[in-house]
Amino acid sequence: MNRVFLIAIFSFLLLLPISHASEVTSLESDGDVGYRQVGLMWSTDIPSEEGTIFEVWISNETIIEISNATKHSLVRVGNVSNLLQPGIGEWYDDCQYSIGDENWNPVYRELDGTAVIPPGAIGVNCTLSGISSGLEIHIAVLSINPSGGSILSSSISSSSTSSDEEIIVIETSPYIFAIGSIALSIFILLFVLRWMDYREGRTTSRFAHLYIAPAILALSVLTFYPVLYGIWLSFTNADQSHLGDQSIIGFDNFITVISTSGFLRVTGFTLVWSVVNVVAHIGFGLLLAIALNSNDLRGRSAYRTALLLPWAIPSYISVLVWRGLYEPTGALNDFLGTDLNLLADPNGAKIVVILVNIWLGIPFMMMSISGALQALPKDMYEAAEVDGISNFSRFRYLTLPNLKSALVPLSLLGFIWTFNMFNVIYLMTDGGPNLDFDGPGSTDILITYVYDVAFRDGAYGVAAAWSVVIFLMLVVFSWTYMKKTNATEAVT
Amino acid sequence: MIRRIFFSLLVISILLFPGCLASNQSLEVEDNESTIELVVWHSFAAESKEQATFESKIDQFMASNPSVEVKISAIPYTEADNQFMVAAQGGEAPDVVRLSNDQLGKIGHVRVGGQPLLEDLRAHLTPIERSKFDPRALNAMRYEGDLLGIPASQDCLSLLFNPVLFDAAGVDYPDENWTLDDMLLAASTLTSGDVSGLALPVKDPYWWFGFQAGFGGSLFDQNGTPSLNSNGSSDSMDWILDLELEHEIVQTGTNKESMKNQFLSSKVAMIIDGPWNWATYEAGRIPLKQSVLPIVTDSGERISPLVTFKGWSVSKQSLNKEWSTKLALYLSSSDVQKEFAIETYTMPTTIDLYDNPDISENIVLSGFLEQLMEGTPAPTTRGMSLVYAPVGTAFENVYTGALNSSEALLLANESLQSELEGN
Repeated sequence: MNRVFLIAIFSFLLLLPISHASEVTSLESDGDVGYRQVGLMWSTDIPSEEGTIFEVWISNETIIEISNATKHSLVRVGNVSNLLQPGIGEWYDDCQYSIGDENWNPVYRELDGTAVIPPGAIGVNCTLSGISSGLEIHIAVLSINPSGGSILSSSISSSSTSSDEEIIVIETSPYIFAIGSIALSIFILLFVLRWMDYREGRTTSRFAHLYIAPAILALSVLTFYPVLYGIWLSFTNADQSHLGDQSIIGFDNFITVISTSGFLRVTGFTLVWSVVNVVAHIGFGLLLAIALNSNDLRGRSAYRTALLLPWAIPSYISVLVWRGLYEPTGALNDFLGTDLNLLADPNGAKIVVILVNIWLGIPFMMMSISGALQALPKDMYEAAEVDGISNFSRFRYLTLPNLKSALVPLSLLGFIWTFNMFNVIYLMTDGGPNLDFDGPGSTDILITYVYDVAFRDGAYGVAAAWSVVIFLMLVVFSWTYMKKTNATEAVT
Repeated sequence: MIRRIFFSLLVISILLFPGCLASNQSLEVEDNESTIELVVWHSFAAESKEQATFESKIDQFMASNPSVEVKISAIPYTEADNQFMVAAQGGEAPDVVRLSNDQLGKIGHVRVGGQPLLEDLRAHLTPIERSKFDPRALNAMRYEGDLLGIPASQDCLSLLFNPVLFDAAGVDYPDENWTLDDMLLAASTLTSGDVSGLALPVKDPYWWFGFQAGFGGSLFDQNGTPSLNSNGSSDSMDWILDLELEHEIVQTGTNKESMKNQFLSSKVAMIIDGPWNWATYEAGRIPLKQSVLPIVTDSGERISPLVTFKGWSVSKQSLNKEWSTKLALYLSSSDVQKEFAIETYTMPTTIDLYDNPDISENIVLSGFLEQLMEGTPAPTTRGMSLVYAPVGTAFENVYTGALNSSEALLLANESLQSELEGN
């Protein structure tokens, strides 16, 4: 009897560490806690002892032993003093513990992120992340007691039932706006055309408008809609954080534009840039065209080809070559034996960008004027020669007035193109050097600054307002220029 | 009558033509449903070893996952944040994109239709997967709590030098006890003929940040408020600009590219550059050594370059977020990082690689790792992504003599503060 009693005592002592190890007795899972997540709650039969580790294992099949499973996470029972205790939502994943009083507290974290709960905890509630959505998984918890013994809980199945929280909202207002503005512009165009037909007495061809329908549609989609969209955007607070849910804010963006530090400076430089370039393009283009048109010139084709090269090379390549030439280590300094850094100097950079654009623009003007020169009647010059008119007088009183019909639209187009010339400044200086903390750079023109406002600052509404201002400037200029020069009459 | 009927049929057929096309397209999509297509934007330099390594890893991923087709596109590193934002706002974001932690602050702030642009990856990674990464690197990819990327590399600037030019001038190599005065003296001695002693882009804010920290300045205070206008900041700005303007040991107008070219043509003895160019210099057969950046004589602090972490982020608009995350995890895995480190001297972010003999016994990698430990991690905040512009403007003003450094930095601080407040 004593022997039986002793064996029983001995067995009890041997089993004591095992029975003292916290064993997971209850395991519950919730598959609806979030995308790619499942909730897991377990409780132990006795309060957890310091040094115990709970490992969470997951598998595609029932977990009988951990060899067929993957370790997901672990929770250590230990001293929590001096450890972080991030609140719910602050850590990468959420895990809480309970000491049996129905209060759930966030677990503590070691520096490497390991979850730690204090001794005495009997319940743990974790959100398991990284679970494939919609797939059934099996979860088990392995309790490892301080002496190294371990007990694997029975496994439960679960699956993350929450779908991707990202809801792709199809924002309908831009489409409605697009369709509306296209339809409106088609309607207005047709109305105007119909009215013009009526005024002119063209009433026999009913299908005429149908024939030009593709052109009207293309014009509406490619021209009127973007313009109307830009105008609408300029009255909204659209920016990086408001795109898609922007609202109308009246004229605020236009006030921002006008009150921008450097508004007058950038507008002024844009005008200087445009006028100097157009004058130089026309002047040099005319000079070269007259020279090329001279009957005494030999090798005209060779000259013409050489002079066309700046236009034939893609502008971004030639601009980058020019930039290289003006760099401190570039050919200009090598040639002059100087140490100039023109692109870093506000005035130097302005001169350089203008010079490069003049170089780029001359060939087009030269070719256009050359074509117009060749169309001038030769007998007019023969008569002048017979009358003994000097070369300068022939140019002043014959060539120039007869070229007006070509020069006026050319200069107008040249002005508009140069006003909106983006490549040269963007590639040469990117608008810099920038000495204004909240405004445009020293060589920025309106169009390059709009790019910065839109795509660097992300202020789409303000950028659209800048674009509307540019558009209005060009409309006013073009209208005035045509009125003053009688350009349309000259062409027709 | 016949003409009218013919014309009507023609118009109807024209109108129906796009519909026929649309029908074909939808059939095509249905046929391809079994293949998952992922679009990845990377920012490795064209024709670089990094790009070649990356492409080989993508090929391996596709070979292991035949149902996945990965289409890759290159974007410029400095424009990656802007290009991604513009694409995402147009609904054309790639599934996976390589971004730096100082770019995440800018993107993390942006919303389209109330939705962020990048997926919070916290729900996608298991704690065991997370635990493989250096907590500092992982934390750097978090913006306002969200995990916006998986760290794949980290880097910072260090001192690179050409030992042949040092030997020729009889100057001792830099070591960990070097001070800025030592560097200045050595650079002056080494500057001779068409050889410069030192090259760095003196007006580039990224290069300045390390000097600023060494002189006792900081970009932001502990609350994240801009703190550019300190004595340390202005002293460091003056010091770095004087390298070109006063001491003339840095060539006029040196920028990143010209620094690289000068070093490749053995026209400069020392440069301050990152590990990303090491492979290029090595391929150019330039004698090359590395040392940690010197100590600032007055403050006793070492120059502490900005440490940035680059990682793979998943777009919120991706229709295959699980696969995108798998790919991001693969590209950030220890195996891939190790190959990148050995092939391209990219510094790893997984803990096991820090002690890996292939890394720790590699003199270049261990040198850069030592420098990383001396660096200052870039904060992942909106302020960090916005700091470059006002600091760049401050540099331009001081360089051209329009303002002194204290005035310029005060204005830069006000400008940054104002932008953060949304004015």
